[in-house]
Amino acid sequence: MVTELISRRDRQLARNLVESSGLVFEETFDVLVGIFEAGGLVAVAARQENILKMFAIVPGHQGGPALGELATELIRGGTAVGCGTFFVFTSPANAAAFQSLNFMPLVYHPQAVLLEYGGGIPRYLAAHRHLVRPGRNGAVVVNCNPFTLGHRYLIEQAAGKVDHLYVFVVREDRSAFPFAVRLRLVEEGVRDLPNVSVLDSSHYAVSAVTFPAYFLKDQEIAATVQMEIDLMLFGLHIAPFFRIDRRFIGTEPYCRTTRRYSEAMRRILPGYGIRTVQLERLQAGNEAVSAWRVREALRREADEELRRLVPKSTLDFLLSSAAGEIREKLRTYSRRH
Amino acid sequence: MEIRRKVQAGTMQSSDLMVFVEPAEGLTIEIESTVKRQFEHLIRARIETVLARFEVTAGSIRVTDRGALDYAIEARMEAALKRASEANP
Repeated sequence: MVTELISRRDRQLARNLVESSGLVFEETFDVLVGIFEAGGLVAVAARQENILKMFAIVPGHQGGPALGELATELIRGGTAVGCGTFFVFTSPANAAAFQSLNFMPLVYHPQAVLLEYGGGIPRYLAAHRHLVRPGRNGAVVVNCNPFTLGHRYLIEQAAGKVDHLYVFVVREDRSAFPFAVRLRLVEEGVRDLPNVSVLDSSHYAVSAVTFPAYFLKDQEIAATVQMEIDLMLFGLHIAPFFRIDRRFIGTEPYCRTTRRYSEAMRRILPGYGIRTVQLERLQAGNEAVSAWRVREALRREADEELRRLVPKSTLDFLLSSAAGEIREKLRTYSRRH
Repeated sequence: MEIRRKVQAGTMQSSDLMVFVEPAEGLTIEIESTVKRQFEHLIRARIETVLARFEVTAGSIRVTDRGALDYAIEARMEAALKRASEANP
């Protein structure tokens, strides 16, 4: 029987089992479950939102019902809290075991396989079918935390080079501005561009779903694999559906992670017939316009600086009472974008 | 019968199935199965029979099957539909 592991002793047993299976025990999870037999813990797994992870089963119980029992319990609990689809990263050797539970492989990377349970990606694509345009289309994936004149410039330049441009706004809420606000400001900021569509990236671009870190101990390698899986998912599932053959990025002077991501784009996307096109960023006062500068200006209450960095639609929001909480949050602490 | 909330029934064990039912405007049935190629039409027919018996005309029905026999499909469907018709958990 699968039980939730709550006590310190049970969690220590879980840690031992996970680590002895060659995985990293991550403290970040919503629920940790296990199976006891004759007083010993024989199987363990965890769920963090819609990601199932840290599956570890003692050798004598592998190939039996333990995997299905763990997955059933995690999916039952996840469904009860509103998750509609679930993801698991596993080693290529273990992918078949998940496939036999009706998990669908989305990406085969030499070091990790990403599988989904719940049919999320076909549903996501079907829901956006009405946006598919003929011709040679392009894409940008943006966080827009918040939408700036720099984003506007990038999107305008990109839209001028393709028949249709899809702007995927990263859904993941790890930013000062919540997803709903970021999405709306992008929509308002590009409304006048006739060949641009703005989309929710859902779980399928630059999301927490791309975090196989726990079974790749080397964090540098894990980060690279994560980026590559994200791009393979884009190349394999998203781009062909929307007829995208070019992906645009801005030059990145500041952020090392973003720079590594653009390097990964050039490495991975050509394999799917997608060109990476780098565009010069818009400058204001000898420096590239960036969302970070906007947040800094907000923090310092430098309204004049703000006016030079964001379009009217964003400015109106930033100065409105609706943004009061965000301004307050930015004033009290700073974080990486 | 009306599907009033999102529910789940069944397990991922071999010879069983998981059923997910939630409110929707039309009636849709999605089936994943390890024996999809051979048996999807039979699984679908069995699900449709249960839906007809409960007079369900709207809802999203998702099933992942691992080779369940007819009576298991009926039992899991019935459990899911009865739960989905209750107003409160």
